Amino acid sequence: MSQFNDSQPIFVQIGERIADMILSKTTKEGEALPSVRQISADLSVNPLTVTRAYQSLVDIGVVESRRGMGMFVAEGGHQRLLAHERQKFLTEEWPRVMARLAALDLDPTQLLKQGGKDE
Amino acid sequence: MNDLAQTTAAPIVSARGLRKHFGRTEILHGLDFDIPAGRIYGLVGHNGAGKTTTLNALLGLTSYEGTVRVLGEDPYQKRASLMKNVAFISDVASLPRFLRVRELFALLTNIHPNFDQAKARGFLEGTDVKMEARIKNLSKGMIAQLHLAVVMAIDAKLLVLDEPTLGLDITYRKRFYRRLLEDYMTEERTLLITTHQVDEIEFMLSDIMFIRDGELILHMQMETVSSKFSQVLVRPDQVAAATALGPIYSETRFGQTAMVFDGVDRDRLAQFGDVTTPTLSDLFVALMQRGPAK
Repeated sequence: MSQFNDSQPIFVQIGERIADMILSKTTKEGEALPSVRQISADLSVNPLTVTRAYQSLVDIGVVESRRGMGMFVAEGGHQRLLAHERQKFLTEEWPRVMARLAALDLDPTQLLKQGGKDE
Repeated sequence: MNDLAQTTAAPIVSARGLRKHFGRTEILHGLDFDIPAGRIYGLVGHNGAGKTTTLNALLGLTSYEGTVRVLGEDPYQKRASLMKNVAFISDVASLPRFLRVRELFALLTNIHPNFDQAKARGFLEGTDVKMEARIKNLSKGMIAQLHLAVVMAIDAKLLVLDEPTLGLDITYRKRFYRRLLEDYMTEERTLLITTHQVDEIEFMLSDIMFIRDGELILHMQMETVSSKFSQVLVRPDQVAAATALGPIYSETRFGQTAMVFDGVDRDRLAQFGDVTTPTLSDLFVALMQRGPAK
């Protein structure tokens, strides 16, 4: 039993969980995120892996690292993350969804009308 | 944030041509490796492969041929001074059974210059280990907690754990590793662990070494492991095509064939079935059956 799936690197999966905390506003802009040490201990993962997960969010300006204080959601970080995740959805997930719909011969317009309900 | 992976400082441990004979039998056949600071190393091998002998050489507990440096010193010559900065839990861990915990801490305060009694007491807070308890009356799990509290209270740069969780139940094992990550690991500290329950610590490790019959057959960063090795659940009609790419291991179970590949592009493998990174135990099984990896 593992808390991770084995098709994606662990640091990516941890990065996604942190991103979820920011997207859902569980942690708001300017607020502190869990420390590298705490996540490492909670998930039994190497601290370097957690550092790397945070680094990917620092790189896109969503998280800022304050020396000696830890990790914080950057000002404007929520908006930047939202833009980043939307872009990722449109380029990576949406084409797959469309392909799946086509394979199942489903009409997206019809589906939207039904509001996702079964007929 | 500083990039922790880029350590340029001298390695904490370095071995060159490490050999060990017991009588005429050679147990270690010339190991070469460096362990940099700030890393968590896993050393994995069958019983009798030479894990404990290797650790004993690093700790100055046994003589050897070749060159070994731990924190820049020869462990066999400088064992006493090294022990200020190196701590060790052996699989045959023994603490003086007749002492009370309080007495053990007093003893350690006297004999170990880097033992911080207040820290040790702090680590035991919230556990069932009481200061007045006699060690012989503690359960196996409690002894492990006590032992960990002792070694973590020594401000050691290198902590060596030889099967530290042997015989402990899953709750204690998890608690043990959690403690290590929470209270011991920093960028300056280094951890070297041997265990048979390798899947439990897989994600904790930064680096892995597999030892087989006295030889290192794998030594690499975990990140490299996941980019180099792949496991594929091959669809029945693809088995022949997949076999043509030379898997290092193949096993058919319940009508499903799992193959492990070394250095084959994942996009190429995806046509045969689902591609994942093998767990360390799967990789161990695969590599134990073939020649040294390079």
